[in-house]
Amino acid sequence: MYLTMRQTRRLKLGITYLLLVIWTIICLFPIYWLIITSVKLPVAVFQGPTYFPWIDFQPTLNAWKHLLVGPMQNQVLRSWFNSAVMAPTSAVLAVAIGSLAGYALTRFQYYIPILKWRNNDLAFWIISQRMLPPVVVILPYLIMYRVLGLVDTHAGMILIYTVFNLPFAVWIMRDFFANLPRDLEESALIDGASRLQAFRLIVLPLSSPGLIATFLFCMMFSWNDYLFALMLTFSRATTMPMFVAGFGTQSYGPQWWFLSALALLTIAPMIVIALLIERYITRGLIVGAIK
Amino acid sequence: MSTNLAGQLAKVSAPQEAARPRGISSDPSKHIFLLPAVILILLFSLFPLFFSLALAFLSWDLSRLTGGVRFIGLENFITLVNDARFWNTARVTLTFVLGAVSLEYLVGLGVALLLNQDIRFRRFFRVVFLMPMMLTPAAVAYAGRMLFNEGQGPINHIIKLLGGPQIPWFSNSSLALPSLILVDTWEWTPFMMIVLLAGLQSLPPEVYEAARVDGANDWQTFRHITFPMLAPVSVTIILIRALEAFKLFDIVTVMTGGGPGTATEPVTLYAYLVGMKNGNLGYASAIAYSLLIMVIISSTLFLKLVRQRAVQAAE
Repeated sequence: MYLTMRQTRRLKLGITYLLLVIWTIICLFPIYWLIITSVKLPVAVFQGPTYFPWIDFQPTLNAWKHLLVGPMQNQVLRSWFNSAVMAPTSAVLAVAIGSLAGYALTRFQYYIPILKWRNNDLAFWIISQRMLPPVVVILPYLIMYRVLGLVDTHAGMILIYTVFNLPFAVWIMRDFFANLPRDLEESALIDGASRLQAFRLIVLPLSSPGLIATFLFCMMFSWNDYLFALMLTFSRATTMPMFVAGFGTQSYGPQWWFLSALALLTIAPMIVIALLIERYITRGLIVGAIK
Repeated sequence: MSTNLAGQLAKVSAPQEAARPRGISSDPSKHIFLLPAVILILLFSLFPLFFSLALAFLSWDLSRLTGGVRFIGLENFITLVNDARFWNTARVTLTFVLGAVSLEYLVGLGVALLLNQDIRFRRFFRVVFLMPMMLTPAAVAYAGRMLFNEGQGPINHIIKLLGGPQIPWFSNSSLALPSLILVDTWEWTPFMMIVLLAGLQSLPPEVYEAARVDGANDWQTFRHITFPMLAPVSVTIILIRALEAFKLFDIVTVMTGGGPGTATEPVTLYAYLVGMKNGNLGYASAIAYSLLIMVIISSTLFLKLVRQRAVQAAE
């Protein structure tokens, strides 16, 4: 039996939707599982998997209460607010310093005589910093931070996240500025504005989509970091990922209901960022810079 | 692409600019723009990189009070070459990079092809499919531990309902690494997908028109048109993802801690344990440096292979 062309097309479309729905479930199920586990009683967790609240188990807010208003309150809130202060602050700094450099690399000519480097070599040197596995430089950081008294401080963590995000910020902003028309800033320069004035008053306002997208990405990288926090903090400046990771390795075994709630508190801001960032990514802002 | 073009344009227009009375390239403020970034990067990457290299030639053991810091030449590297545990971590890291990056690329390409069709709710699918790569790996690792849990996890439960066997995802030493690769694939497929989707959307429609006129079927179109045209961007994202995958630390530390035994212990975790838990800074630096060497060799080999293939294809 042969299918008509229309039937073949409908069959193909049907398979496409089926696969799309399957992948949607795969993407969302882990988050759903965290949500339902966080409202289960310990006994319900250990009885084996159950899937629907009120149908195969009775939900409870015990775990959430224990973490947010109960005995764990101080530790949880401190870690969360540490992350919520350090990630955006370092992202703002990385975007500020990174956009200055990104702008410079598209508007000025640089030449370093000893290395015979020009703008493109400088840009490549900056982005190549991201190739470096952090574990290679983490011990020197630790020694450096001990000497400078920066271990377990907010300033120290903001500094390290800023530097860690800088190559990415320079790269994306450089690509963005390269595509920005120059007429407006050049007429401002002719009218007697300094470079910095032209940059601040004309270029930056025109670049807000690039700045926002880069900020969101830097914020995500900082928020999600675990290695730097693990090496350089222990109590005052601990971050949320570090708190979650440490919580599961306690001696009485993993308490999944608490861990699920903590994991949700950790990923909640990132879900918001994912919703915000999608439009910038699909507009080609970030993707363009990769090519 | 655009940056290359901008760079070429800048090169072409440079002499004219220099001739201007208030030339752009002679503006003294240009250093104010670039220096903050360059100084920070020099301080935080070049200095530690050399410091770390120096450490690798020292015996600096925090666990021993006497002895202090001694220069021991290549001794750390000699120990490294004879360290079976190190070679195991190297194997784990390479297997992980190879497995995870290929799986992520294949799945990402598949999902991108699905999304590139004329479908409804595309925006919704894109947002949902993008989500995993934004989420904190340490938290994702816990979700993974619960989902793959042998007795109480839903994955084994669903397999059981379908009549399949109970799989010891993380307690079996030969399955633990593939399980880690699955979790990493969940997290990082979106990166491949989003870039490949943008690549697919930028392909010129005329070529497809021509292929359809010539009577090419879907597979032929994909094999001879779509895939070759995606090759440059594929090379780039595979390289980017591989460079990131070599840094594997968060997911494995939380999910398996390197176990069972040392079956899933990557180089990064070994360096961390030697440096932080044992306080042997010199040896830890030698291990970490060997990772850097591995990264450089692998990416050079990969690019060489790609170039050879490109030359062969051109002939």
